[in-house]
Amino acid sequence: MQYARKPDPVDVLIVGMGASGATAAKVLCEAGLKVVGLDRGPWLRPREHFSGDEIKFLNRTYLWSDPRVNPRTVRTEENETAVPTPFSMVPQMVGGGTVHWAGWLPRPRPSDFRMRTLHGDIEGASLADWPIGYDDLEPYLSKVEWAFGCAGLDGADAHEPYRSRPYPTPPLPPTRAGKRFYEACEKLGINAMPIPQAIVTKPYRGRTPSNWTSFWNGYGDPSGMRSSTLDTFVPEALATGNLELRPESYVREVTVGPDGRARGVLYIDADGREVEQEAAVVLLCLGAVESARLMLLSKSRQHPDGLANSSGQVGRNATFHEYLFAVGLFDDAEPLYGFPGNYISGGSFQFYETDHDRGHIGGALIGASHVGQPINWNFPGRPQWGGAAKDADRDFYNHAMKIGHTLHDMPVASNRVDLDPTVKDAWGLPVARITHKAHPNDIRLAKWQVDKNVEILQAAGAWKTIPVYLERGRASGNTCHQHGTARMGTDPATTVLNEWCQAHDVDNLYVLDGASFPTATGVNPTLTIMANAWRCADHIAGVHAKGRTERLPQGRSGRAAAPTS
Amino acid sequence: MTSMADWPVVHPPADPDTGERLFFDDHEWDTIEAATARVIPTDHDPGAREAGAVRFIDRYLSGIGYVYAAADGSGFLRMSGKLADAWRARIEDLRETYRQGVRDLDAIARERFGADFVSLGDPEQDAVLEQVSGRPRPAPVGLTGEDGNPTIQVYAFDDGLSFFDALVAHTRQGFYGDPVYGGNRDRVGWRVIGFPGPESLKDTIDGTYSVREYYVQDYDWGRLIPHLRGVGRA
Repeated sequence: MQYARKPDPVDVLIVGMGASGATAAKVLCEAGLKVVGLDRGPWLRPREHFSGDEIKFLNRTYLWSDPRVNPRTVRTEENETAVPTPFSMVPQMVGGGTVHWAGWLPRPRPSDFRMRTLHGDIEGASLADWPIGYDDLEPYLSKVEWAFGCAGLDGADAHEPYRSRPYPTPPLPPTRAGKRFYEACEKLGINAMPIPQAIVTKPYRGRTPSNWTSFWNGYGDPSGMRSSTLDTFVPEALATGNLELRPESYVREVTVGPDGRARGVLYIDADGREVEQEAAVVLLCLGAVESARLMLLSKSRQHPDGLANSSGQVGRNATFHEYLFAVGLFDDAEPLYGFPGNYISGGSFQFYETDHDRGHIGGALIGASHVGQPINWNFPGRPQWGGAAKDADRDFYNHAMKIGHTLHDMPVASNRVDLDPTVKDAWGLPVARITHKAHPNDIRLAKWQVDKNVEILQAAGAWKTIPVYLERGRASGNTCHQHGTARMGTDPATTVLNEWCQAHDVDNLYVLDGASFPTATGVNPTLTIMANAWRCADHIAGVHAKGRTERLPQGRSGRAAAPTS
Repeated sequence: MTSMADWPVVHPPADPDTGERLFFDDHEWDTIEAATARVIPTDHDPGAREAGAVRFIDRYLSGIGYVYAAADGSGFLRMSGKLADAWRARIEDLRETYRQGVRDLDAIARERFGADFVSLGDPEQDAVLEQVSGRPRPAPVGLTGEDGNPTIQVYAFDDGLSFFDALVAHTRQGFYGDPVYGGNRDRVGWRVIGFPGPESLKDTIDGTYSVREYYVQDYDWGRLIPHLRGVGRA
């Protein structure tokens, strides 16, 4: 091992420059703090590296981390040996999951922050209230929407909570599949609306809506039309002169001082040299799986069970939002087209809130979509080869649509991330092992909602509908959504972070990604992750960095106090 | 190590008229070409044979020089570092999968029909592929079946594929993928299913290529969303 010269300490060190890390970098740099941002992956240049190449982006993992370099193992039961599986993969690169995403930007709902108050203890689940409420986050949801130029339609969502600002840009036109969805919803009395999307649909802050290729979900955007932190917050943070960004820097450990506080990190740079970077404050922003893994890798005399893990809760209560859907195949003459749109057109919050008549708690945001690009469009039971396969592509590629939802899965203490005892990554370190078994509520919710999606497809005139349930409780890890492995709360005995996402055990360590979510929420998490990172970064710059402490009073109006257990 | 952001562009795109073979020997080439032609057969529309799916597979297996096209399609990226190592190992595994796959096709063909796979007629080749896949040849999409399916991964990875699954996946990629990779000759695959794909990858970067006309052109949100008209409001 070669060692590089030790760089000077900085105010704030950010590990992971994706959705949360780049948001924090922008806020902290604009507040005048000196920041070093490290990312395991590359710093790509959208106009030079991204285009509409389905093989490169969807089949050869150009943005995803390579499962041979960063493997991950999965099992459903404690006594099984976990098997290497590309579960909940997310791009490990500057910009992170905002590079490949479709850009779903729905807001969470007030109920998402109070699941335990609303539902009490559910057997087998570890429901918890958030130590913040919708009102705490609302100003920051607006900030992110306006920074990103979020496209949406004011007044269309009948179930929308309070918002302080309208949408900055109007929605995309409906796709043909979207139009069918709106018509079916009207027939069934369902309120539908364009799903808010991180894309600019009119000239906005120097960006132009010029990418109409529909090579969107899974692809990087060469035009800057779709919003990513790579194209917005990273350049904004750099423009302050306060950010030094070091890509392809693999952090192997958070180091601590004799007092147990974070001293900095050890990382391997692009040339294979080990570097120690010290900082007054360390932010973990790697995503809930990798942040938990890094905390568990950072064992020390002061933190024998992993960093900031005196509660034993690091890695636990992991939730993953399995994507479930129903496909409709149509036999009428009017093509729906398989390709336009960004995995998004119309959606609905009609089924989002708990209705006990359904036999489960929670609900889903549903969305209608096209079926994808030619190689990878698929539906269960699609003939794989021969004349039947060719006919299926010819007959249905342009005559199919999906209605899907990400699953608001229950937190379960035994669903967790820990270190695999045998499998190592390309740097020789133990990989994240995921133990995950769906809670019975997950299976019931998925079944009810997929059946409802089938009903809507039938109302839209589908010739055949194909439901995809959460069978046998085994999730495939088919979304990038990760939450819950370092939950925030007020009790240091049962949570890892406080309401500012500051570790209870280590006052200069913050975890700003989805790991802090006590419950999964039923919406795509990135807007909430970014808004929360912005809120916490404001606190770090305005309170922590000034040597003060401040706690958020609990039990304020609009949010009931958590019942004592 | 060269950063991934600075991988140089080498090798020009595949010339669809070249007879050059980078990996397969003649017998392997002919066998795989025949097998791809059963996966996506030629009928009143072109199939995998006309699209050059075998050329696509041959390039892919030739090393790591044809894994990632440059964004504008001007050539291919020369990888380095841990990703290059991972791809080298992955391609090595796939090469062995294909070489063994050709041997297996021939062994079954000789045992059941007394000749190499490539010499058999379509029904006999299908019978061999059924045996290799362990399942009957797929039936057309019908109204029955498929109630309650397990969830599926959105993204595909090539690790751990059986020969048959690799053949099917790569034939599909060679039929529907961008022509820069050596398949989808003259964009025939896209024409067969009515996908108006780009003339070139470059066109997807600079705004030349657009599918905007495939959205609904004439719409009124108030008509699509009753709530905007005050219908159903409390």
